[in-house]
Amino acid sequence: MELLVYLLLSGLTTGSLYALIALGIVVVNKATAVINFAHGELFMFSGFVAWMLHVQMGVPYLPSLLAAVAFGFLLGAATDLIAFRPLKNANIISLVLATIGIAFMLRGTARVIWGGKGDYLPFPPITSPEPIMIGGIMVIPQQLAVLAGSIVIMVAFAAFFRLTRAGKMMQATADNAKAATLAGIRVDRIYMLSFGTGAAIAGAAAALMAPLTLLYPDMGFSFFIKGFAAAVLGGLTSLPGAVLGGISIGIVEALAGGYLHSSFIEVSAFIVIMFVLVVRPTGLLGSTRFRRV
Amino acid sequence: MTLKRCLKAGLSGLFLAVAALQPGQAQVPGVTADTIKIGSFGALTGPGYLYGKLPMNGIEVVFDQVNAAGGINGRKLELVREDDRCDPAAAIGAVKKLIHEEKVFAIIGGGCSNATVAARETLAEAKIPVIIMASVHDGITTPVAPTIFSTALTSSLESAAMLQFALDQGAKRIAVISMRDAWGRSRYTPLMEAFQKKGIKPVLDEEMAPDANDATAQVLRLKGANADAVLVVLYPKPAAIFMRDAQKLGFKPLAVGQSGIADPAAFEDQVGSPGATASFRTISMVRYTPEDPAVDKWRKAIEAKFPGDRLSVFNLFGIGSAQVMVEGLKRAGPDLTREKLVAALNGLKDFQTDVYPGGITCVETDHRCNKSPAWIAKEPGKPVRVLGVTKVE
Repeated sequence: MELLVYLLLSGLTTGSLYALIALGIVVVNKATAVINFAHGELFMFSGFVAWMLHVQMGVPYLPSLLAAVAFGFLLGAATDLIAFRPLKNANIISLVLATIGIAFMLRGTARVIWGGKGDYLPFPPITSPEPIMIGGIMVIPQQLAVLAGSIVIMVAFAAFFRLTRAGKMMQATADNAKAATLAGIRVDRIYMLSFGTGAAIAGAAAALMAPLTLLYPDMGFSFFIKGFAAAVLGGLTSLPGAVLGGISIGIVEALAGGYLHSSFIEVSAFIVIMFVLVVRPTGLLGSTRFRRV
Repeated sequence: MTLKRCLKAGLSGLFLAVAALQPGQAQVPGVTADTIKIGSFGALTGPGYLYGKLPMNGIEVVFDQVNAAGGINGRKLELVREDDRCDPAAAIGAVKKLIHEEKVFAIIGGGCSNATVAARETLAEAKIPVIIMASVHDGITTPVAPTIFSTALTSSLESAAMLQFALDQGAKRIAVISMRDAWGRSRYTPLMEAFQKKGIKPVLDEEMAPDANDATAQVLRLKGANADAVLVVLYPKPAAIFMRDAQKLGFKPLAVGQSGIADPAAFEDQVGSPGATASFRTISMVRYTPEDPAVDKWRKAIEAKFPGDRLSVFNLFGIGSAQVMVEGLKRAGPDLTREKLVAALNGLKDFQTDVYPGGITCVETDHRCNKSPAWIAKEPGKPVRVLGVTKVE
């Protein structure tokens, strides 16, 4: 029983971060029907911004996190301006290649700026590094902080979508861009807002993840793959699906590693995805409408 | 014959006579009457710069000292650097550039193993003398390429030393946690062979991905198997995650690392959990920590030449390999050829450098010239210390 609790807690923490990355991917995909392949690098870059502020400049953690979110938003908006807007009427391959190009540019820039300061950069824990006992289970407070932070961000994001004007306009554009245009919504702005919001969530995920892991310029792709897998599992167009997909992947990985063998950690989630997509091609909570990607 | 034709014939004869007086030097690439051009390749940018740029800085300070003392047989040493970014294709390009465009005489290089393995064929075909400074993959030195020597440890030597060290410390239930990418396999396979040779079976054999952010599952399984020592075949990042989670779950075995985690002080920072690395031991290719007074001379040289840099173990890799190259060049004599340098390197026996734990010995049938890994550890709040040396046969 103790083993199960440890594994579930670990899976939930990792899964909540996958969910945040997946949310960013889905927000952009819902609005623009494009997968932003630079999403992992936006995540990485925002993480380094938080590191620079918190570790190098001594800015407290919370303002550093908010700055990473803001920086992520700007970087996402810039991705829209550089890679999406000029090519929005081009074929989908061009759009995908443009986002891949942005990913390489960001990775190269990060290597130049932060690549020479150590192989992996540590981010100090935001809570006490000493484990605490909760009901006989040893927990790192940092894990709880990450879990709580992820939940707060997900709730805030849901509220933004449901309660704000901008959120409603994003939903309207995602549902039907032409109808949204006819209704007077400036869809170009909404696309930019979507890229920015997606990257802002990635920024939050990066700042939350940083104290649990180590930062390095090539980290983005592996996180993107996990987030993308979570988004696909959830249905690519469903925001609750992204959360469900992320947490499912985190838990499946932990259980497979604990009960089968650690070699199953990396493949287990993809095996589950394969089976889910065979049974339900639109993912767990996805809709059936056509997508450009 | 007119005066003009006489002059032409005379000048031509004079030119031929001068050329004939210096036949050897004109034909040896990278060698002039007063310089020897040595190339180096490794990562100058990207996360692998530790194994490229920093050893090269070490090479450069050795060359500076040699040059300040008058050079080798009157020739000053010049270092030409090429960036391979730890990328196999870039490494092939880098060594081709050094050999064919820069026309270097010899090479001291090789940071990341995958890149150096890729460049091996090009280096061997060119028959250029090479000393590997940091790459540890067995495929670089086995089978023996006549002109490629290594002063770095090799992965099979380190793997054998890891098991030996755990046994020497009294471990009875030894487990393994490893990455299974190309780097990990180059260590994991010889490690399993070392187990087999000793007639031991690991109590558990776990895997971890290079990008893993959680090791709860692995730690719980190892704890359940009652492992008293874990051989850690991981990069610093997953190793840091493993050590952090091991502490979280109250699992405190002897953790035995390898030269991929060569800086215990940096590793302690990366783990970020006080006391989590207390039972961590790792291999160093060099016998001194950067803080050791024995390397004061080199610390001063590095800090003077590269303001803002602190002496690191990676600098020491370059210093050791450069000292071996310098010794080879001295022994090759004033009429320098690549063949003479190779013969001189093949003749090195128990050559002592300022940094390596044991003597450097190269023979024609075995170019793994450094077989003495040192063991280092950092207890919380204390400096890194050298525990001892394992001589691998």
